[in-house]
Amino acid sequence: MESFFVRYRNLVVLLVVLLAQIIGLAMQVRHTDSGRNLVDAKDGTGVRLIRLWADWLVTPPEKVLHGSKLGALNLWDNYIALRHTREQNQDLQKTIDRLRLEQAALLEDARQGQRLQALVDFQQKYIYKTLAAQAIGSSGTDQSRVFYIDKGSDYKLERDMAVITADGIVGKVREVFPHTAQVLAINDQSSGAGVILETTRIRGILRGNSAGRPQIVGVLADQRIQPGEKVLTAGGDQIFPRGLPVGVVDRVVRDPERDAFIDVIVKPAAHLDRLDEVLVITSTQPRFGSDQQQDMATSESLKGAEAAAIKEQKKASEIMAERLPGLTDPNAPKPAATPAPASATGATAAPGQTPAAPVTPPAPKLLPARHPDHFSPGAASTPLPDQGTSTPTGPESKPAATPQSKPPVKPQPKPASKTPQTANPVPPSPGRIQ
Amino acid sequence: MAILGADYRRDLGIRSYPMLVYILTPLVAVMLQAWLPRLLAGYAWFDLPLVVTVYFALVRRDPIQGTLMGAGLGLFEDALTNHAIGINGVAKTVVGFLAGSVGVRIDVENRTIRLLLTFVLSLLASAIYLFIHHFLLGLDLEWSWLAELMKAVGNTVIALVLFHLLDRLQIRD
Repeated sequence: MESFFVRYRNLVVLLVVLLAQIIGLAMQVRHTDSGRNLVDAKDGTGVRLIRLWADWLVTPPEKVLHGSKLGALNLWDNYIALRHTREQNQDLQKTIDRLRLEQAALLEDARQGQRLQALVDFQQKYIYKTLAAQAIGSSGTDQSRVFYIDKGSDYKLERDMAVITADGIVGKVREVFPHTAQVLAINDQSSGAGVILETTRIRGILRGNSAGRPQIVGVLADQRIQPGEKVLTAGGDQIFPRGLPVGVVDRVVRDPERDAFIDVIVKPAAHLDRLDEVLVITSTQPRFGSDQQQDMATSESLKGAEAAAIKEQKKASEIMAERLPGLTDPNAPKPAATPAPASATGATAAPGQTPAAPVTPPAPKLLPARHPDHFSPGAASTPLPDQGTSTPTGPESKPAATPQSKPPVKPQPKPASKTPQTANPVPPSPGRIQ
Repeated sequence: MAILGADYRRDLGIRSYPMLVYILTPLVAVMLQAWLPRLLAGYAWFDLPLVVTVYFALVRRDPIQGTLMGAGLGLFEDALTNHAIGINGVAKTVVGFLAGSVGVRIDVENRTIRLLLTFVLSLLASAIYLFIHHFLLGLDLEWSWLAELMKAVGNTVIALVLFHLLDRLQIRD
């Protein structure tokens, strides 16, 4: 037995080492319900310990290297590259003067924009607390687009915090160590960020491809998606606040696995390959100043008063519509109105007048003619052949005088009123029984 | 190997290095592998830990040493990624073992053979990585063989320089 191990010790050692690693791999991968295998997003204790050791070993030299690089750049920038500074300073002073004027105008626009934004509950777009960090290292392989920053749990960093630059989003914090943190870039194949195209409002999930380019996957083929369109964060992933720039559409390629879908290759706004300083969003809770809070309260109260005013205005317009029937369309279908009570339809007619028919529909009211002639409604001097006596009613005559506008109305029995009966001033219509 | 005498090592052609070289070279390789890609942006077509593994496994002519060094450096690399720990470890373990086994049978002083071996073993490491990641573990992975080919070429170019530098650090009996 001893000779076997001595003879094949190379192979035995190889098999033992391989077996141990494969068992370790099997413990890190789990099978999901969807049939896919995934590496646990949160490392186990043992795995985290290994990563911590590796980080502990690699980070200090990397910090030294990074510091040396910054020192060299500082030397260059502050001593060697300071030529023609005086001229540049004068030019910059002029630029500052101009920018101050522009800033004053933009500040007012920004304040107004913030108030409007708050009113429509877009508060999550605002970032209120960030932490600057330096990128000090990477994973060292193209298959893993992660990098390390020089801030960790000592600065209260947590998992899934968004990492951005002034240009756009960069990634999210994947692992936090005592003095460093591992950031998963948006161009990694295992990353995922909810994004939206600015113009077409098409949503999708952003992740990296094998070439390290971020792409929006699983998008239905759409001709409207054109290169150059801006891509923003959608805000639905609970990591990136909405509205942050992601990049622009570079090109659209067909999904190799699904015919009806396309992949939108995105040119990232942030320089993912050349990151130095990044910002970690540590809080997205709204934190308005006293002025802003006062403005918001004022806006809210104004919004309520405005709604009440609109309601009152609408009510008044309805009342006006009822009182001005001439403004209604006479050809419009009549609503199925309930019969009006007698008191409202002429039961209280003036003395000397017969009470009007109780079911008379509201007739359109014509405007009086300034100079009535033969053709003016109600001003005809010669009666029609089949008409009896017609009394010109003048400007106040109702359009019921015209046969087309007056529906046939049966003679109503005389109401039990003591008012004297007089002739109906309304001219008889052709279908009316005299 | 420490018990072998100088005459025996000379007979076998086994090289020996100061202990500091054994410790610092892999450490620097891993550290540079983590740091240089930031400077070179998307052109980091190399795998320094793999080159170091191949070198020491070849010149030491010891499969066990190659196996252990490959496993250690591979696990170290894995620990710096967001992937499962062990994928690179297995790949470099096999590479170290093969390099150590081949080193017994070939002339490790021949530069062409060493460079050719580095190129082939780089591609083999990529293939093992793909096999473990995609087929053994069933994880999604987009793959570009062109990138792996470029990496193999990069490793060969680096080996051309690095092997020469490390050769000068060996202990002469």
